[in-house]
Amino acid sequence: MIDNLHARAEKLISQERVEGISQAEGDWLAEHLRQCESCSQIAKQTHEALRAFRGAAIALPRGLAERTRFRVQLRAQELREREPKRSLLWVICAISWALGIATAPYVWQAIQWIGERTGAPRLVLEFGFGLWWAIPALFAAAIVILENVRQANERDWSGR
Amino acid sequence: MLDENKALAQGLKRRDPGLLDQLIEQYQYRLFRYLLYLTSSRERAEDFFQETWIRVLERGHQYDGKYKFESWLFRIARNLVIDWQRSKKMLSLDALIDPEEGAPMEFAAKNQPSPLHLVLSAEEKSGIHASLDRVPGVYREVLVLRFQEELGLEEIAGVLAAPLSTVKSRLYRGLEALRGAMHGGAA
Repeated sequence: MIDNLHARAEKLISQERVEGISQAEGDWLAEHLRQCESCSQIAKQTHEALRAFRGAAIALPRGLAERTRFRVQLRAQELREREPKRSLLWVICAISWALGIATAPYVWQAIQWIGERTGAPRLVLEFGFGLWWAIPALFAAAIVILENVRQANERDWSGR
Repeated sequence: MLDENKALAQGLKRRDPGLLDQLIEQYQYRLFRYLLYLTSSRERAEDFFQETWIRVLERGHQYDGKYKFESWLFRIARNLVIDWQRSKKMLSLDALIDPEEGAPMEFAAKNQPSPLHLVLSAEEKSGIHASLDRVPGVYREVLVLRFQEELGLEEIAGVLAAPLSTVKSRLYRGLEALRGAMHGGAA
């Protein structure tokens, strides 16, 4: 029974710091600590440990903020320079698709003509036509993937 | 507070260079301290510090202002450390996520002084720094977030991407370890 009281007190000492305790629990704990030397010692040790921990100072490396700002600015510039290229890529894709739509009947006629000449099955012709449509998207995707791979390689700073 | 965060989110979306400069200045101490406690290495903490801000620049549009900026910042920093650990395969990710199941987040080899000890003892050879060396890194992390950064339990859970129960459990164990370390007991 007495052990339970001490265990409860010890639990409340930590709980007070971690998630808080109710008014009733606080009153009980205060009363217990007044009477119990060992629990009071634990409460004191907890208080001192946290006070010391909160007050622990770390020295910042000299010029860390300046070096970081410089790197961030360089990266920002790089991103700004890259943005127009991306936009251009999408403009080219859009034009390509627009031209694709406009010329689709003629391209299909051409594919059909090739099909008649070679005797290729209709499924192959349709697949060829679909592929012709997908070329701009595949091209754009390839550029985006290559760009991402390049960026990942550039930022492979984990060698240390 | 929410309005401030929203304004911050908009600035980050625009990649406002002035705002980033200001944030680096404002959070440099807190972020570096967190990274130092997390990695136990000054050099790595510096690398991760710079990389974290580059990520903030690149992914600023992902911050929506619903949560404290520092929670988001610490989460980015932590993810970078985890990615690095994954890539180096120095420590299993499972051990990092659930430290009770495996080794705590430390880089030092056994029977050698830990890098944190070397770093901290260079600054102060006694007192709290020496004691902190005896607290496992994964507990130091939550202790920093709770008692130095004053983050709420839910915010810490957000940074760690861990359940609230895990956060509480680590905090209780961490507090016990800290108390033990400060008063000569085993952590």
